[in-house]
Amino acid sequence: MTGFGIFVTALLIFAVLMVIMSVKSVPQGMEYTVERFGRYTGTLTPGLNIIVPIIDRIGRKLNVMEQVLDVPSQEVITKDNAMVRVDGVVFYQIMDSPKAAYEVNNLDHAIVNLVMTNIRTVMGSMDLDELLSRRDDINAKLLSVVDDATTPWGIKVTRIEIKDIEPPRDLVESMARQMKAEREKRAAILEAEGHKQAEILRADGEKQAAILDAEGRRESAFRDAEARERLAEAEARATTMVSEAIAKGDIQAINYFVAQKYVESLKEVAAADNSKVVLMPLEASSVIGALGGITELAKEAMAKREK
Amino acid sequence: MAEIELIFWYWWVLALVLLGIEILAPGFFFLWMAIAGLITGIVLFLVPSTGFEIQLLIFSVLSFASVVVWRRYVGKHPEQTDHPLLNKRGAQYVGRTFTLIEAIENGQGKIKTGDSIWKVYGEDCPQGAKVKVTAVEGTVFKVEKID
Repeated sequence: MTGFGIFVTALLIFAVLMVIMSVKSVPQGMEYTVERFGRYTGTLTPGLNIIVPIIDRIGRKLNVMEQVLDVPSQEVITKDNAMVRVDGVVFYQIMDSPKAAYEVNNLDHAIVNLVMTNIRTVMGSMDLDELLSRRDDINAKLLSVVDDATTPWGIKVTRIEIKDIEPPRDLVESMARQMKAEREKRAAILEAEGHKQAEILRADGEKQAAILDAEGRRESAFRDAEARERLAEAEARATTMVSEAIAKGDIQAINYFVAQKYVESLKEVAAADNSKVVLMPLEASSVIGALGGITELAKEAMAKREK
Repeated sequence: MAEIELIFWYWWVLALVLLGIEILAPGFFFLWMAIAGLITGIVLFLVPSTGFEIQLLIFSVLSFASVVVWRRYVGKHPEQTDHPLLNKRGAQYVGRTFTLIEAIENGQGKIKTGDSIWKVYGEDCPQGAKVKVTAVEGTVFKVEKID
């Protein structure tokens, strides 16, 4: 083989190496940094890229898709001294590849540590009850703090979520007991209130009935009295009319009526079949007297006729 | 080597084999050599008297030259995509209007987009003012006050 042949063979190998070194294909979702003699000069975006072989080299290969990191479970002491286990997840995305590549060493480790310390800070300033009921607030606060801190690293923390908050077992038990007692208390109160309402309603009904009853009696008494008044009035009128009639006529006319009534009642007494004893009034003589009065009447009538 | 009579077909066969390797092992390394092989074959077809060393020389130079030519071409004709903002989260917000949730003081403030909070910089304006995103620099938006 001639010298020229060897040179050409070497050139062929060199050319193949050059092609392999200069052609860099970057997949979608990734970004490569380029270092010229070790110093950052640019970023390769997705697609086929050509770099100057020998002097340029690929530095870091960065994933610019949104990524999720698990925040390992850790113990946090709350403001009211309860020890809880907390874990979470962080979502972040690299926005500025060179910064993410060179401003921070071991990006994932840095983010996880930052989030862990901030979880302790934020949750340590809250009570256990707040911790359990205000996760959204915790997430928002964490996000704002961590995002501020990670800005120089060219990454955007899009979301931090607290996954699990696990209070100690005995605390969970007493919380359950507390809840149960709370419900029982409410039930007892409701029951007592029901009783009270029922009693009040019943008493109210009785009161109403008594009032109505009394009112009825009052009304009837009024009416009775009125009736008696009217009766007395009528009697008085009748008496007046009788006495007026007597004053105009003869006194002996009365004796006639009285005698008539008397004899009638005697007849009734005699007709009663359960007693054959006839009781004559003690003043039978006065009845006779009345008969005498009738005689007088008759005499007068006779005398008038003889004239 | 002198016994083997190289004809243009061989180069074309090599080009196809290289293309096959490229298909099986994607990496865009062998594509250029396949192009070079194809062109060398054409040269040999037109000038059959070309010496073997010269053919290799042509192949080596063309391998690298095709890369350079392609780069020039792409420089003038950028590739088109129907999702130019893919993986460029910040750029998606350029041109949109947001309300400041934290006043811009000394050039720094914050806006809320979606369910995240972004830092912005621009001329000072009070909380609640409407601002328009004009550019993204890393994780910070450049904003302009609008009325």
